[in-house]
Amino acid sequence: MTIIPDLKYAKSHEWVKEEGGIATVGITDFAQDALGDVVFINLPEAGDEVVAGESFGDVESVKAVSDLVSPVSGIVKAVNEELIDAPEMLNSDPYGAWIIKVEQVTDREELLDADDYEALCAEEG
Amino acid sequence: MSELKRTQLYNAHLAAGATMVDFGGWEMPIQYPSGIVAEHLYTRKCCGIFDVSHMGRLLIEGPERLKFLQHVLTSNAAALTLNKAQYCIIPNENGGAVDDAYLYQFEEDRYLLVVNASNTDKDLAWFEPIVKNYDCKIRNISGETISIAVQGPESGKILAKLAGVEEVTEPARNNLSILDMEGHKVWVARTGYTGEPIGYEIFLKNEDADWIWNRLMELGAKPAGLGARDTLRMEAMLPLYGDEMGIDEEGNEMPIFGLALARFAVSFDECKGDFIGRKALEKQAAAQTAFREKRGTEADLVELPKRVRPIALKDRGVMRHGMEVFYQGEKVGYVTSATMIPYYKTEGEGAEAKLLEETGKRAIGIAFIRSDIPTNAEVEVDVRGKRLKAVIPLKHVANNVPPYVIPVIAQ
Repeated sequence: MTIIPDLKYAKSHEWVKEEGGIATVGITDFAQDALGDVVFINLPEAGDEVVAGESFGDVESVKAVSDLVSPVSGIVKAVNEELIDAPEMLNSDPYGAWIIKVEQVTDREELLDADDYEALCAEEG
Repeated sequence: MSELKRTQLYNAHLAAGATMVDFGGWEMPIQYPSGIVAEHLYTRKCCGIFDVSHMGRLLIEGPERLKFLQHVLTSNAAALTLNKAQYCIIPNENGGAVDDAYLYQFEEDRYLLVVNASNTDKDLAWFEPIVKNYDCKIRNISGETISIAVQGPESGKILAKLAGVEEVTEPARNNLSILDMEGHKVWVARTGYTGEPIGYEIFLKNEDADWIWNRLMELGAKPAGLGARDTLRMEAMLPLYGDEMGIDEEGNEMPIFGLALARFAVSFDECKGDFIGRKALEKQAAAQTAFREKRGTEADLVELPKRVRPIALKDRGVMRHGMEVFYQGEKVGYVTSATMIPYYKTEGEGAEAKLLEETGKRAIGIAFIRSDIPTNAEVEVDVRGKRLKAVIPLKHVANNVPPYVIPVIAQ
């Protein structure tokens, strides 16, 4: 399982990368592995407000549906529309297939660094 | 919590990297590292192998075995000849299902009845007070034997290679044979739960488990888990006990003739006599015929309020078990099984059909809805608070011409 050293991680298995006031959000390798084949994604639209700790969309695998939880509060600047037709990119390249970019970030969930996130994943097995 | 049961192939599943889950008290592979989508598609194009050793295998032996089976099953077991199998349902007096099963006659002097894993104990308890009245016995051989479903266009060739024969059974569904494969005795049935026009279920002694599993993989078959088994059977509209038969979401018994295939599973032949549930089933059958002939009345709705039908989502989304279905604004039932199911795009039809490299996926499944809803009806499904458009097609696949299952895409 891959964990990228310079990203931050939410306990709900989203990764976040903050750069120049923009927070890019995706799901982790652990999350995609637990979901199995992702076959559908519901995305917000640019301009929507997202709230830290609350759902901003969902991903569905063959087996089940799972909420996407935002690690930050802010306004959606962009969504990765490629995922609508190719949600399986979340399986094949979880850290490349970003889901949303958030601007005007006002709040953050308690985020873990790579080491702590690795420990969490080990605990959840 | 009681310990989960394991099949003889448990270590083989772990070695293949399977994700194991609790399935009705059994620790079974839900998927292997390639994933459900790849396993589904490989079965449709080549050959998937499924460990189905968890299912109950019961031998019915003794002079009155046929008389007993005629009483407790819906099918006409007297019509079953040596080396043939038939689908059947274990009915209750109300015309509901205790379980569904497959009856095999591999040998003159006994029948093999294969039942659902999670229902095996219930079925045995159901049979116990009945079988006492007949000069025959039920012997549970589940623990001594294994079973593997070998399914897909290449399955016949793979098994033929192992047996050193041209054809492993007569070339049609429900044929059986007992073969020697590289010195191992294998009971072969041309049956399955994937909708594949070419597919087999094989039975072996426990000690042959690792040998057969490895040989099948060496010859090009790939393991597939319960996840793909579920998507394959949904696409082919094959019912699962607990979803499409048994007790519905509202606690009512689901009528056997709610299933389209009840027509083939239930026989009212005179020689079956007054079998369990016969009277109720006769009424249901008449109502099903009326609805199929588009002349169903209010009285038919009383006998057969709902039927099991295919459903295909037209809007973007995914349907799941339990979601409500609406027709002309009125709630008419619910989704019993559904997810996003992959398929190969195809070219040509029938025996000329070819699978292309390109794949698609579609949100389809099975619904239990009011019996008078016509084919091609536009319905709505409540997908987590949103009403999405769906349709009731005639079928999801065409699978009557080997070697391929051809997807029928709802318009």
